[in-house]
Amino acid sequence: MSDYLWDKSGEPDPEVERLELMLARFRHNRPVPDFPERLGFWDRVRAAWPVRPVGPVGFVRPGMQQWSLPRFAAVAAVALLTLGAWLFVRQPSVVGPQSPALPALPASPSWNVARAAGEPTIGARRMGETGRLAVGQTLETDAVSRAVINAGPVGEIGEVHVDPGTRVRLVESRSARYRLALDRGTIHAMIWAPPGKFVVDTPSAVAVDLGCAYTLQVDDTGAGLLRVTFGWVGFTLKGRESLIPEGALCATRPGVGPGTPYFEDASPAFKAALGQLDFGRLTPGSPGSRAAALETVLTNARQRDALTLWHLLTAPDASERAEVYRRLAALVPPPQGVTRAGVLSGDKHMRDLWWNALGLGDTSWWRLWERQARDFGLESGD
Amino acid sequence: MWVVGAPPLTEVSEDTRLVSAARDGDRTAFGLLYRRYARVVHGILLTRVPPGEVDDLVQDVFLLAMGRLHTLRDEAAFGGWLATIARNRAMDYYRRSPPHEELTDAVADAAARDDRSEAEALEALAAIRSLPDAYRETLLLRLVEGLTGPEIAARTGLTHGSVRVNLSRGMQMLRDKLESRNQKSEENL
Repeated sequence: MSDYLWDKSGEPDPEVERLELMLARFRHNRPVPDFPERLGFWDRVRAAWPVRPVGPVGFVRPGMQQWSLPRFAAVAAVALLTLGAWLFVRQPSVVGPQSPALPALPASPSWNVARAAGEPTIGARRMGETGRLAVGQTLETDAVSRAVINAGPVGEIGEVHVDPGTRVRLVESRSARYRLALDRGTIHAMIWAPPGKFVVDTPSAVAVDLGCAYTLQVDDTGAGLLRVTFGWVGFTLKGRESLIPEGALCATRPGVGPGTPYFEDASPAFKAALGQLDFGRLTPGSPGSRAAALETVLTNARQRDALTLWHLLTAPDASERAEVYRRLAALVPPPQGVTRAGVLSGDKHMRDLWWNALGLGDTSWWRLWERQARDFGLESGD
Repeated sequence: MWVVGAPPLTEVSEDTRLVSAARDGDRTAFGLLYRRYARVVHGILLTRVPPGEVDDLVQDVFLLAMGRLHTLRDEAAFGGWLATIARNRAMDYYRRSPPHEELTDAVADAAARDDRSEAEALEALAAIRSLPDAYRETLLLRLVEGLTGPEIAARTGLTHGSVRVNLSRGMQMLRDKLESRNQKSEENL
């Protein structure tokens, strides 16, 4: 790379210079706007909720004035019962020795939740416009309800939108480790915490955020599908792992773990055959089955599908790895330092070099992913 | 590729001071952060949304950041954090907006107006935007926003190595794309 492209020093590269001049019209040239002196309370609330039609967590309840009489009465009854119980507990014992003071309960970390539609529940209780989801508690939505979790003790790590028919638990919430479990249903996560701090357990794989937005679905059998709309997500279970970029998906099955990632715009034949390879009951020796599925995947692979083929380089069967190598080399020639023998024998360094040539970022992603997986006590394949 | 790198200590400590002051309501400090990061936010948005929408969205991103500044625990991570807000804001734009004018339509419009330089610039921008995600942001920050490689590394949290790789490979891919487009248009003449 020329010095000029790097830091504008040295002899100007004519092509770079021409593009700079041509593209300068799109450059930012606005003066500093007139920012408010200090954001007020409501400005902060609005700023924290830029796009959602739901009420901001924990602050306003626009539906208050529309409460029906029965609902108001029910709440009043609960309040009276709570007050009565509190007074009863506070009453000093009149017989026997003075009870020792109870130790204060540790404040359990919890996250704000906003109702978006219907009547979601936290624990066994129906939540109001807002609620708190504590570690160990479950948030559940029925067929018509939805909710938004402000992830993190003060909502500092992102938002998780919970679709109808979903059950999600808060498993862990402490500095640098935030963990949900999706038992079933669909969530849409948009995370702005540093990569690797937020994970979601599913019955058949664990999704590790690497700075992204994604949708995760789990059906009643525990099978899942992860679709990345922005950034990257790592998907892992017991040594099987997939790194999924924006625009790609990855399925997962109980007892198997994550499958191979693929781009959403891959051909239907490619996707169907990949599903067979990942989760079908096919064996390497049975002609017309596994070999045929692999052949379909390889034949239908475009250059962009190098993502999928690269993952298949670790297939357990040596002859399959050889076929994958052949096709991947045709789509993205192996860079200098990468040999067929090395890749087929599982040389990790060579696979890393090849990954760097795919145009999907360098292997720093993998290193980061492995570190984060270790921090969370997850097994990593490498 | 958004791997956290190690920006120069002076920039980090200056950011830390400014973020801390801005969090306490210091408008001048936030203005200085805007001066330092506006081009980065602008560049990130320009890789994803129509050029005509970018300026307003830049302001949105800074207002969002201002509102959320109290949630940023590590002041030194401001650049990466702001970049993530910008990427998320771009995504929200598409989720909320009605169908918008594609860049290719704008190229066609410019060509119809016989504005050759505008059409060429839009085509170059479209070519950058068609590059893999890892390259397009870095390349756009260099070619459009005029930041140097070291400045991109310092302001985005990427390592110098990652920025070098992104610039080098991205530029090569861009040259190939532009060359192939030129060949096609010559064939069509």
